[in-house]
Amino acid sequence: MKLKSYLKLFKISNIDFSKEIGISSVSLSRYISGERLPEKKILNKIFKLTDGLVDANDFFLSSSSSRDLSEIHKEEIKKMVLNIREGKLKDLAKAITLIESSLKLHNAQADFLLSKFKQNKNSLRVGITGVPGVGKSTFIETFGMSLIDLGFKVAVLAIDPSSKRTGGSILGDKTRMMKLSVNKNAFIRPSPSQGNLGGVAKRTSESIRCLEEAGFNIIFIETMGVGQAETTVYDMVDIFLVLLLPSGGDELQGIKKGIIEMADVIIINKADGNLKNTAEITMSEYKNAQNMISNIREDISPEVFLCSSTESFGITKIWNFIRKFEKIRRDNGSFYKTRIKQQTKAIWRNIIMQSQDYIENNLKYKDSVKKIIKDVEKNNFDVNNASKIIFDSILKRNT
Amino acid sequence: MDRKKLYKGWEEQASKELRDKNLEDHFWETPEGIKVKPLYTEDDLQKISHEIGVPGLPPYTRGPRATMYTNRPWTIRQYAGFSTAEESNKFYKEGLKNGVMGLSVAFDLATHRGYDSDHPRVVADVGNAGVAIDSIEDMNLLFDGIPLDQMSVSMTMNGAVIPVLASFIASGEEQGCPREKLTGTIQNDILKEFMVRNTFIFPPKPSMRIVADIIEYTSKKMPKFNSISISGYHMQEAGANQVQELAYTLADGKEYIKSALERGLNIDEFAPRLSFFWSIGMNFFMEIAKMRAARYMWSKIVKQFNPKNDRSLALRTHCQTSGVSLMEQDAYNNIVRTTIEAMAAVMGGTQSLHTNSFDEALALPTKFSARIARNTQLIISEETGICNVIDPLAGSYYVESLTSSIVEESQKLINEIDEVGGMVKAIEMGIPKMRIEESSAKRQARVDSNEETIVGVNKYKPTEKQEINILSIDNEEVRKRQVSRLQNIKNSRNNKTVESFIEKIKNAANSDGNLLEICIEASKNRCTVGEMTSAMESVFGRHNLSTKTISGVYKNSVKNDGKIDIIDNELSKFVNKKGRRPRMLVVKMGQDGHDRGAKLIATAFSDLGFDVDIGPLFQTPEEAAKQAIENDAHVIGVSTLAAGHKTLVPLLMESLKNNEANYIKVICGGVIPPDDYPFLYDLGVSKVFGPGTNIQEAAIEIINLL
Repeated sequence: MKLKSYLKLFKISNIDFSKEIGISSVSLSRYISGERLPEKKILNKIFKLTDGLVDANDFFLSSSSSRDLSEIHKEEIKKMVLNIREGKLKDLAKAITLIESSLKLHNAQADFLLSKFKQNKNSLRVGITGVPGVGKSTFIETFGMSLIDLGFKVAVLAIDPSSKRTGGSILGDKTRMMKLSVNKNAFIRPSPSQGNLGGVAKRTSESIRCLEEAGFNIIFIETMGVGQAETTVYDMVDIFLVLLLPSGGDELQGIKKGIIEMADVIIINKADGNLKNTAEITMSEYKNAQNMISNIREDISPEVFLCSSTESFGITKIWNFIRKFEKIRRDNGSFYKTRIKQQTKAIWRNIIMQSQDYIENNLKYKDSVKKIIKDVEKNNFDVNNASKIIFDSILKRNT
Repeated sequence: MDRKKLYKGWEEQASKELRDKNLEDHFWETPEGIKVKPLYTEDDLQKISHEIGVPGLPPYTRGPRATMYTNRPWTIRQYAGFSTAEESNKFYKEGLKNGVMGLSVAFDLATHRGYDSDHPRVVADVGNAGVAIDSIEDMNLLFDGIPLDQMSVSMTMNGAVIPVLASFIASGEEQGCPREKLTGTIQNDILKEFMVRNTFIFPPKPSMRIVADIIEYTSKKMPKFNSISISGYHMQEAGANQVQELAYTLADGKEYIKSALERGLNIDEFAPRLSFFWSIGMNFFMEIAKMRAARYMWSKIVKQFNPKNDRSLALRTHCQTSGVSLMEQDAYNNIVRTTIEAMAAVMGGTQSLHTNSFDEALALPTKFSARIARNTQLIISEETGICNVIDPLAGSYYVESLTSSIVEESQKLINEIDEVGGMVKAIEMGIPKMRIEESSAKRQARVDSNEETIVGVNKYKPTEKQEINILSIDNEEVRKRQVSRLQNIKNSRNNKTVESFIEKIKNAANSDGNLLEICIEASKNRCTVGEMTSAMESVFGRHNLSTKTISGVYKNSVKNDGKIDIIDNELSKFVNKKGRRPRMLVVKMGQDGHDRGAKLIATAFSDLGFDVDIGPLFQTPEEAAKQAIENDAHVIGVSTLAAGHKTLVPLLMESLKNNEANYIKVICGGVIPPDDYPFLYDLGVSKVFGPGTNIQEAAIEIINLL
């Protein structure tokens, strides 16, 4: 990182810093402005003092282009921020596009945008999962509409990282949420499936922040309930809902046991018509099973509900429980604590993802790396040695 | 003479003529998966599984009547509806003077969906694709001077079937024709609406109850009226192959029988009044075989319910030449296509027939095109001598073999439906819809890669553009007229009585009163179609459709002749520039439920690499704009078939503009008269695609546009 950014980030004045290195503050400003280049001894000192964050390359190479935005871009984004706060859907939608984009420039714009946002403490992030056919969309439609009637603004993000298709996607979510999709207090954004789980998670949590900035206070994140995505979603929501069909156990429903164990609310959906009895049996089975599972949350136990989205039945009870859940956890502070923990997790998740990205899209294509691997294949080189050399090259900041 | 030896000789001779090519290569696998050989012989007749029999006796393979056309040719029944009752009435009278023998009413989209013309959701739908009927007053105008005790009337109505049939019956009685004398057919086939046409109002369960109400009422009070026309037509229009059309239609029929029996009716009370409706496309022999197979299979199906009367086993049908086979390009070719299709319908033994006008791929028929369509039938009937012999193709090695293959293939699909517990269940699971969409995507892929020839479209394209005069309708004018007529009715009737009828309808919907019976009285007292519908809606709810789509079928079926590579290349350039794939929102605005085109576009474009959003059916322009903005689509693809584009597209453009979202491009596709292209371009539409557009070429154009 550039020395100027470092000093700004850690709030260190030029004078203090120059004193530590043992040079005049005038020399320091010349180094910062690029008028002069520091000599080897000084570079070493700076490297050590900044914990390696500022090294020689930061003085010798001109500033890397993509991460820095032009003033025009910055102005555009600032305007976008204002419009998002005013509730302009167009700008909100564009912001999510920037977040989802594969272009470096767009990502830099998104980063700048997100840096302008404040933490939103009043929103409620609700994860919803269940196997295809369980009626997630219809549930969200009915539930969402009743929340809007109560005066909330509701947003829905659907994520599907399970499919690794190369082609385009068909996104028909809104056809199942007809009333919600046309309501002015609702925003539904289906995203095409792309990339790895880490990337989807990053984009989703960033989109959540955009929606919150635009005033949406209840945000649904919908997943398929069949894969590993749920753990990731669990780490970005305040409460986690699992929808089940009124029949059989987890195995029969094709839902992973681990997912049920994460649930704060288990909903036996489609409890209508001739399925009502089966639904009640299923409910009592889960209630019994739930007693044996150790709770993930310390302050409130999960509950099981019957629901029929088509007959709008069960919705009020579920909402009352969610309210209670939220109140208890806000009052004892665990609501916000969990969010902070989630942020820390997100940092590491992003780092792992970026490293993977770098390995897959960059490192593997370097001529030197290719040569080393060839040598290993020909038995000319030891595996351990090879990995060490390649890993060292990562540490030496290849951008 | 030894037959084996004889055919061996033919094989040798044929192989010689083919030189290095194999005889096996000349087997043709039809889209239905039937292997057709180059030569059929006596041996094939030994292998058939159906009974041929004689006309007029079970199993009726050769026809439902013993004398067929030798006694009386089929009924020439031209389907039409021209926005207003007055216009339509004029058209019917013109037809009756010129050889048409039965009326067939097309209703506008608002009526289909049970909305009165003054409802805000149907601003662009009034008078589109047919006549607007808001009340008995409109019915009276529609049949003014047409004696209903002598004229058989067919009505294509499924969604708002109760109020419309009620108004018809009431209008008949005001004219002086008692209900028992009314003849004709009401389509009343709701199951296929959930499968393909989407002109439903209520959820499946109450919809089936309505069907049973009508069967019950007509079987008791209207002995000469066909209570239902079980339709395969719209399935083929939506892309079904002939085997699917046949199998799913018969399975629908079975379901209707079951629900009438559950109502406590006797099979012989209503089975003779069930009728069918086929689409007749360009696969000539296949269509003939389909019609014969249908009669054989239906007799076997009804037999399971132990009727005493043989008439219950006879399948009677109406046919219409295929609308999707009509092309915008080189449109006069459609006259020839329609003629061939009409021939197939006649050879297949239809009881009545509608021939399409050649300009129907562009707009509603003009006087001129309607006349040619009528004459097509008159020429076949009166100039060719075809009517003098019954079922002339019976015993043909090929036709009988094909009939047998269709029976077998259809039976497999029917079994599949039976296994999941009948058609209502299968529809809820989306099985038939999925299969039909698959066929539709495959066909488009064959046409796009020139495996299937369409003259003037993908081969032998005309070099010059022909000018064709078409009929255009001022939708806004029609709506104003309807709205003012509604106003008059509401001002002059006894609103107290109306309210009491609305309550009665609600009560009947909540109990098991016969809805048709009550609505007949309600119409006489000037309850409107919309009022009667919303009374029922308050009990039943309005059905919403969740759109399911298929993927991969198009790409797997299309031959890569280089265009796919161009698209891939253009797409990766696009992604490198914009950071994501081109995103297209496919919308169907207004009350037109024909979503074959929209779904085909969605699945094909996503297969080609676009991200495609699908809008819900029956969207308003404002809703479509909101969705496009939220999803940040690059382009909105408007699919339109029902002339709504002249009202809906301007509203869409305006709505985008009001939201500062003119950066979203708009393209239109479907049945749009070329005369309207300039109008659309002036509005800012980027591109208009007509029927028969090659999807891959369109994809390239769209990427370049963005």
